[in-house]
Amino acid sequence: MKRPRCAKLVPMLVETLTVDAAAFHEGTGWEIKPEGACKGDVCVPLPDGYDLSSTAERLGMAVVHDEAAGLYAVGPETFNGRALASAEAPELVLDDLDGNTFRLSSLRGKKVVLVAWAPY
Amino acid sequence: MSDPEASRPFIEAANPTHPSLLDPHHEMDTLFGVINIPNVVWIDESGTIVRPAEPGWPPGDYYPDFLRAFLDERDAAAEAKAAEIAATDPELAAKIRGGQDRDSYADAIRDWVEHGADSRFVMSPDEVVAGSQDRPLDKSAGAAHFELANHLWNAGEREAAFAHFREAHRLQPENWTYKRQAWSLVGNEAAGGGELGRFNQGPLPGQEDDWPFEGDFPSEAGSTPAGDYYPKTLEV
Repeated sequence: MKRPRCAKLVPMLVETLTVDAAAFHEGTGWEIKPEGACKGDVCVPLPDGYDLSSTAERLGMAVVHDEAAGLYAVGPETFNGRALASAEAPELVLDDLDGNTFRLSSLRGKKVVLVAWAPY
Repeated sequence: MSDPEASRPFIEAANPTHPSLLDPHHEMDTLFGVINIPNVVWIDESGTIVRPAEPGWPPGDYYPDFLRAFLDERDAAAEAKAAEIAATDPELAAKIRGGQDRDSYADAIRDWVEHGADSRFVMSPDEVVAGSQDRPLDKSAGAAHFELANHLWNAGEREAAFAHFREAHRLQPENWTYKRQAWSLVGNEAAGGGELGRFNQGPLPGQEDDWPFEGDFPSEAGSTPAGDYYPKTLEV
């Protein structure tokens, strides 16, 4: 099944654990840099360099395998035990009803009240 | 329900000047720790979160009469119950009375708009991180199962999807969006869809044996005190 267009897919669904750093960044929001895995102002050192399994372990991301479906799901990071790794707002990229992509960061310079609701 | 057509009528009727975005993969949960709706996050001009995800609403005079009446009646019943048990079970009474205040939440936002960083509701970066949802490794696994569940449901793999939903619910029992997503998908189907089908988040009478989940909305929400469902995080 094709997934809707969006820049980040968290948790990330992948068919193989040999995912490169660019795809890991796209899928989890964590960018691999010389200083480690970084999101916003937080970097977690990767002493052994990047590969999905060891990086997920360092960041406290659960990797769940569904063999029948042929999929791995990589959950969000938990290394600091909280939903937020820092107070710096993570980038949120979502589409509106017409399929236009909106980036939370485009509102910098304004106060933002971000409201989650559902039309159950 | 993540289908855009579920939210379209509400967005078009409100016709807001702010953006209204679709979040089919519950990124508000994985990125901000939103485990129930409605939830609100405050972000300042520099992109710093100054209040982590918490329950918040517009004041009650914005609600349609039927909803206001329903909520008033429910709040009165809860208060009567709290008063009745206050002496014998003070802990439960405090939980019943421990919900976020609907009518004053918007005043806290107004205070922030007026006073900015000097508002008494603004939290430090350390307080924001500490005040976000706790997230042990199990919750990451719960999120992974939830994503697999949604993917498999959309692919028509019902039983496989149910198994992952159940794991997500087991690993994150306090996550109402995970539960209500699963309940509304199955409940909607059982009710035959339509405009109100998705509000059916439990088994229909006589179909209890077919319900694939341990809980359902009417029984769980009905037995959850406000302080657990919409915990108070600020006092205006």
